[in-house]
Amino acid sequence: MSHKIRFVSLLALLMATTVSMSQAKEKNAPPSQKIAKGSKVFIAPIADGYETYLKDAIASKKVPVEVVANREQADYEITGTAESQKAGAAKKIIMGNWHSREEASITLSNIKSGEVVWAYSVHEESSTHGKRSSAESCAKHLKEAIEKE
Amino acid sequence: MSITISRALILAALVICGSMTPISWSQTNDNSTAAPTTAANNTETAKLPASDLKPASSDEGQLATVKNARIPSYAKVYFAPMAGGFENYIIAGLRNKKVPLVVVVDRTKAEYEISGVSESEKAGWAKMLFIGSQNSNEQASIKIADLKTGAVIFGYSVHKTNSVRGRQSAGEACAKHIKQIVLE
Repeated sequence: MSHKIRFVSLLALLMATTVSMSQAKEKNAPPSQKIAKGSKVFIAPIADGYETYLKDAIASKKVPVEVVANREQADYEITGTAESQKAGAAKKIIMGNWHSREEASITLSNIKSGEVVWAYSVHEESSTHGKRSSAESCAKHLKEAIEKE
Repeated sequence: MSITISRALILAALVICGSMTPISWSQTNDNSTAAPTTAANNTETAKLPASDLKPASSDEGQLATVKNARIPSYAKVYFAPMAGGFENYIIAGLRNKKVPLVVVVDRTKAEYEISGVSESEKAGWAKMLFIGSQNSNEQASIKIADLKTGAVIFGYSVHKTNSVRGRQSAGEACAKHIKQIVLE
């Protein structure tokens, strides 16, 4: 009888441990951050119309995604911020530099899951082609992220 | 007699099982359950006063954690909007520094919230003329709050004079120090 009780107790202990370990494993599992080729992407409005540069850059860098104008149709959404500072008189006279200073940061989030799957920031102290350069940098790295998967 | 022994054995088994349970409990995405989902330290920190903030060693800026609080890996984190969209730079920094956290855009799905302020000061003519530097000065301060308990478990501030990469540098500095409190 006592053997039976011990056996049942050990079995209960083993089951409880297994369940708790499997739950812990589930919680710590990393999320899938794969961006499928041909996904539909919506670009949310960014300061100073930066989304226009981004759309153009995605097309020129041949990023394998489809940009859509309607958020409801999209699988992913790109949001972000951008700042451009034209070269002032001091920069031109003292530093001899006419180029603008560009900063941008974008995030790509899965609309269904609400998780950010990719993010990138760029800083160009003297950007030759202004916003276009920084947008193309974002697009280039997005393409790398998609093709890497 | 045998019933008493069996009860004792089952009780012992449950106690051992409880002690073997990992730090994080299972969780659901809904807010309806009251089960603790975060590190055990975090629940303790909710009752602690602000004076328990302890500075940790840091190369740049000031970092403080409450009783060595830790965030479980792949915990869901929400970024509150910051001035100038600085939250985007931190998110990019998290990815760059390979911080094992899941950033969500919906606050209700998150376990932690990161909020803060940032300021960027561009180089003026005097700085360019006398120092010969056109880099900006960056400063930012962030805090991480446990959304279940409401306790602030982590705080960090960074100040960069002549930041070569502007806000990107400050964002990456924040991400690097967030990584220090994430359990891997």
